[in-house]
Amino acid sequence: MTFKRTILLLIIIFTLTSFAIFIAPRMQEQAEITPPQTVYNDSKDNNNIIIPCPNEHPEWRAAQIIDDVNIDAAPSCEPDNPYDIATSVKGTNNVSMATLMQTNLAQDALTMTDDLDHDGDPDVVHIKLEVIELNGSTPDGDFLINTFDIAPGIQPGLWVYAPKSRGMALKNFNSVVANPMLRAPSPVIRVEQDDKVYITLENTHYLPHTIHLHGVDHPWLNSKGEDNDGMEEHAVFPGKSHTYEIKPRHAGTMLYHCHVQTAQHFMMGLAGMFIVEENRPNNWLQTFNIGAGQVRHPSATVKKTFSQEYDLHYQSVDKKLAKIIQDANDPRLVAEHMSRDYNMTESFENYFLLNGHSFPYTLRDAMIIASENEDIKLHIANLQRSAVAIHIHGHKATITALDGVDHPPAIQITRDVFDISPAQRIDLHLLTQNNGLNSYGPGLWMFHDHTPTGTTTDGLEPGGNMAILAYKELLDEQGMPKMHDEFFDQLFNKNYYAKNMAIWGEGEFAPLLADAGLLAPNYLQIILFGLTIGLIIGVLLLIILAYKRNQKQ
Amino acid sequence: MKALLLVLCLLGVNHFASAMNHSGMIMDEKGMIMNANSDKLPNDCKKISENIDITIHAGHKHALKFNGKMFAFDNQEWDVKPCAKINITFINDDQIRHQLMIHGLPGYLYPEGMFHLELNGEGQLQASLIMPSQKKTYLVHCELPQHMEKGMKAQLKVDGGDGDLPSIPGLTAPVRADFYFVDWTQLSLSVLVFSALLGCAISFFIILNRTRIKDLFTKYLIRSTQKGG
Repeated sequence: MTFKRTILLLIIIFTLTSFAIFIAPRMQEQAEITPPQTVYNDSKDNNNIIIPCPNEHPEWRAAQIIDDVNIDAAPSCEPDNPYDIATSVKGTNNVSMATLMQTNLAQDALTMTDDLDHDGDPDVVHIKLEVIELNGSTPDGDFLINTFDIAPGIQPGLWVYAPKSRGMALKNFNSVVANPMLRAPSPVIRVEQDDKVYITLENTHYLPHTIHLHGVDHPWLNSKGEDNDGMEEHAVFPGKSHTYEIKPRHAGTMLYHCHVQTAQHFMMGLAGMFIVEENRPNNWLQTFNIGAGQVRHPSATVKKTFSQEYDLHYQSVDKKLAKIIQDANDPRLVAEHMSRDYNMTESFENYFLLNGHSFPYTLRDAMIIASENEDIKLHIANLQRSAVAIHIHGHKATITALDGVDHPPAIQITRDVFDISPAQRIDLHLLTQNNGLNSYGPGLWMFHDHTPTGTTTDGLEPGGNMAILAYKELLDEQGMPKMHDEFFDQLFNKNYYAKNMAIWGEGEFAPLLADAGLLAPNYLQIILFGLTIGLIIGVLLLIILAYKRNQKQ
Repeated sequence: MKALLLVLCLLGVNHFASAMNHSGMIMDEKGMIMNANSDKLPNDCKKISENIDITIHAGHKHALKFNGKMFAFDNQEWDVKPCAKINITFINDDQIRHQLMIHGLPGYLYPEGMFHLELNGEGQLQASLIMPSQKKTYLVHCELPQHMEKGMKAQLKVDGGDGDLPSIPGLTAPVRADFYFVDWTQLSLSVLVFSALLGCAISFFIILNRTRIKDLFTKYLIRSTQKGG
């Protein structure tokens, strides 16, 4: 090949290459006069649609008496198991076997004995807690086990304390779903002032944990001279148990949480509300409020002033942290990934939970259900990483206590946004009197953290800790808000929270606001580009062949 | 004293000027009409050439026929003769405010070169204007923020107009178009691979048969020059 020819071919290649770059088809192109057509949501995709209210136990809603325990009505979609409540009030040792069999509680989960002050209620309480992993990994396949959905299709890895249970941790033999007692949040625990309470942590988990009783009156050492503060250096290792002992002299809304690798373990869900109730005669308390929410057997003190009582547990999840326990099964890997690879200072909160659920699942069991002219007691705990600014639409409530310390009536503040820093608690008096100040009248009033992220699920609205203060007449017989059918059709769908559905993909405005479709490929452009590339390759091959032939000669 | 006089003068002039501006405006609770003109001929027109009635609807539902818009008029282009008198019936089908503005008109008839109808909500307005004789394209739009940008844009041509405006829904391409993902399918990918192979084959064919092609080409050249001669 002559020098002249080589130059000519190089010029040809250069020209063709420039042309190819100029006309190269791309993944995204600009539309001309007519942008692509609208693509609508696939409303026939039944696999991902979820029934708003499963209505599994309608018989649990009514007010009832079990083993002489009065249990208030709970009109919500998913009321607490009344047998759990009866057992939580009387202790596993004082209820009938028939009642205990209706629960998943172990026979030694909660024993209540000795009326030390002779006022008609037991004063020695033994509480046993286990540590449960929800949405954890399994080496047996590509699925999660002991699942607990916080929202449609959303299953972050979580750790919770749970009352010591018995039997299957799954719902049944054909299921990977956790049994209803194993759920977020960690249960609310209620004890009476001056009771001798023994809290035993039976560490059923594969990593070390403790219980630190935040704000609860407790000596630094227990009666054996061992750690009683749940500190990191006195971790309870897997398979071990440890008993913390208290005799709290001061009543109020407090906390308990794990103090091992605290930042991570707290964020994983090992934190709950611990409420010390005033010592009153015949004051049988509901020791466990599983899943928080409505207290169906309020204390004597609460009943004196209030018609209802609710525990509201705000919690957040960092999806990267939550995924660590799902990505590896080997405890060494989990320990390494969680404590050293994961860096919380470079992390975000992605899921926001009220009583273990994000909207719309909060509608099932985290609503406040009221009538007009009620006095309702709310215990609110901020167990998430960031501060919350709780706002109840249409109402202004009054702060009666901060961090478990009562506010004197003269300085009790009535307002409509309650800022609560991490680990702080606030007790509210919610008056549903339609007086233009405390309430603007009956409605389905939303209540939520007003921090913008709080009402999102991984950034998607509506989600997060949004819930409803519902006036009874606006609920249907399953305890779900009326007038929301179309909204429910869209939101009770895994595809919605997987971000696969246009927000306004149905109805009159779908043609204008559903997804933009794809641009049709420009075949002329593709063919020209293909031919050019082919030509370049052909010419290059020929140059190589010619060069080789020259070398042989 | 001089200064005071000057200030008074300025105030007076200002007051006078603002009153002038308001002279072309009729306003009520339904909406407003600015600079309607049913009788004053433009300087370059001897008489009205034609009398045209145009009904223009405005609303979100008129955007349904365009992909990727939210508001629109029911029509995007009108063409009238020079010196035409246009009687516009402007109908707002939405429950919000919409405008119909025509820009670029002669300032001595239409202050700020503008004809403007505005409806505060559902309803209709009627007003006329007389177009000059010049061959020109006028912008017709709603000036509420993002209404024109989201589709409420049209053009009024006199004597065929002097060109097209960009980004008129269904008519003209935008200057800055949005990007969309291309529907790359197996077919389009196969076409790409096939064309590349074909291109490769063509280059081989050309280079391997270059002497024959050269011969054919010279023969053709000779023949064509002979014919020409």
